[in-house]
Amino acid sequence: MALKTTFTGLALGLSMIAGIAHADNIKIGFNVPLTGFAAADGKSALNGAELAVEQVNSAGGINGHNIELAVYDDQASPKEAVPIAQKLIEKDKVVAGISGSYSGATRASAGIYQEAKIPYVSAFAIHPDITRAGDYIFRTAFVGEVQGRAGAKLIGEMLGKKRVAIITLKNDFGKSLAAGFKEAASKFGIEIVSEYEYSIKDRQFGPIVSKVKSDKPDAIYASGYFFTAGPLVSQLRSAGVDVPIIGQEGYDSQKFIEIAGAASDGIIITTSLDRDSKSAETMAFISAYEKKAGQKTDMVAASAHTAVHVIAAALKNASGMDASALRAAIAATNLPASIGTISFNALGEVQKDVQVQVVKDGNWHHHSVISDADLLAPPNE
Amino acid sequence: MLYLELLIQGIVQGSIYALIALGLTLVYGLLRILHVAHAALFTLGGYIGVIVTNQSGSLVFAMFVAAILVGLVGMAIYKLAYEPLLNQPPFIALIASIALFIASEELFRIGFGPYGISYASQPLTGHLELFAGFRLKYAEILVIGMSIIILSILAYLSVNTRIGVAWRASVTDPSMARAFGVNIQNVRYMNFFIGSALAAIAGVLVALLNNFVEPTMGSVASYKALAIIVLGGLGNIRGTLLASMLLGVIEAFGTIYIGHLIDRDALAFGFLIIVLMIRPQGLLGVK
Repeated sequence: MALKTTFTGLALGLSMIAGIAHADNIKIGFNVPLTGFAAADGKSALNGAELAVEQVNSAGGINGHNIELAVYDDQASPKEAVPIAQKLIEKDKVVAGISGSYSGATRASAGIYQEAKIPYVSAFAIHPDITRAGDYIFRTAFVGEVQGRAGAKLIGEMLGKKRVAIITLKNDFGKSLAAGFKEAASKFGIEIVSEYEYSIKDRQFGPIVSKVKSDKPDAIYASGYFFTAGPLVSQLRSAGVDVPIIGQEGYDSQKFIEIAGAASDGIIITTSLDRDSKSAETMAFISAYEKKAGQKTDMVAASAHTAVHVIAAALKNASGMDASALRAAIAATNLPASIGTISFNALGEVQKDVQVQVVKDGNWHHHSVISDADLLAPPNE
Repeated sequence: MLYLELLIQGIVQGSIYALIALGLTLVYGLLRILHVAHAALFTLGGYIGVIVTNQSGSLVFAMFVAAILVGLVGMAIYKLAYEPLLNQPPFIALIASIALFIASEELFRIGFGPYGISYASQPLTGHLELFAGFRLKYAEILVIGMSIIILSILAYLSVNTRIGVAWRASVTDPSMARAFGVNIQNVRYMNFFIGSALAAIAGVLVALLNNFVEPTMGSVASYKALAIIVLGGLGNIRGTLLASMLLGVIEAFGTIYIGHLIDRDALAFGFLIIVLMIRPQGLLGVK
């Protein structure tokens, strides 16, 4: 009996200590798809974010306090994301939130963070309406249109290809990329010879491949994620279509190279992460990520990693802990991070260069950088 | 030329649909269960195919292993999930089947990782150049060839062997078949084994075409195969084959010529609705 009481007392004491240590941590909300169709990107995002938390804490935390992620699985679904955002704000009392999820879920939670006036950073969801939810919402990724315009410059000016076929993933990601591309196409003398759309569930592109082949374009601008782009590129190449294929950050994963195999060689994409970067932040991120995750890094992981560092830096710079001071500190960000030097415009959109990467010998490598501030200007309102 | 290529692409897709939908229609014909979890066996086949090929280096061996293992899993699903529910209304088994399918996607994710897997070196990447600019990939030839061979063998067996006759008798009139001494239980096991093995082979072939297997690979197959067997006339094998090919070809042309208006799935279901308005029993179904 005495023994049992001692144990109970001990357990109670331990839980109190744990409780205190817990309360001392600064909590950052993190919604991320860990199950369902987007689970692969979710896993990368979580690894990237956790790495950033470890780095911040081992460097002394925020004025002596450790930061901590409160992680919930949103399955990349808006209807999961809404209660998660509410729970994070009301129950977990997070000081800020990060979306490691896709646009649908991110748009849904952005409204809730804005209403509660808690800062929220979208790591890689690209729908233009996300930041329009209000002044507490920021984004470390390019909106789709910006990257689409960069793609047009890459194809029309840098590669000098003028007759282009567009293959578009039929969701907000693919459609906003295509919109940006078409908007800038004429500026770079590009003629769009044909345009096709596919659904995110498609993995077999036989009919589109046959038609593109008969269109005889000089280059192909194809949007997609690694799991659609891998099969698409491999099917285009094996059908004998050998013109340049230009993709974007959705391709940006080692997995794309694995799926497309030899067909991936020479594929060029616009993205955020430069594998051959000489910046200390990027080099440290790439090696630490490979050590932590046991696999090569990707754009999604780097973006989530950057989002955590943006909030951590703002927490350090903010005068006091209240949300409006934190918001102001995030808005004033000027931070070298794993995806380049981050600053935000009035709408909370990131302003940075577009990295162009190319697959060489089974790895992503530096191709070029696009740093045309006018062309890359994100929406301001 | 383009039309010919689109037709071939349609037949390739139709052959895959046929292999998947056949198992589904076999189960429906015999037990009146809509076996949604069938699509999970298609995914499982893809995983086993890639893993065994990567370990052994032989695609043929991998296909055998996938067919046999998945066939056994199919039998186990019947024994553990459906048999206890046979006396319940059919929607109970349908709910069980949907639950199994959803759970399986997460099991694949937990077991094999969220990123999906690919062949270490993709087999059969070459092609046959039939005439200038017209290519048939080896993998596509294999898909069409396998479907024709497998389906012909099955058709032959169902007519010319005792077990085939027993199977057809059980579908037509189970109680009469039992009265004539047919072991209904064995027929059901065989039914699930063959149907599941076919789905596994389809999985290996799709993995070959895409060089990619992922946890959600069966999600399209799960509902499209249902549409196909309804289109063909529930439980009707010839109807299922016809519907598979028709849908494959319609999707191939539709993707190109009206794909900007409606997507591939909408196309399939639109076609289904039109056919059902004219022939409520399906293409070859009987009233």
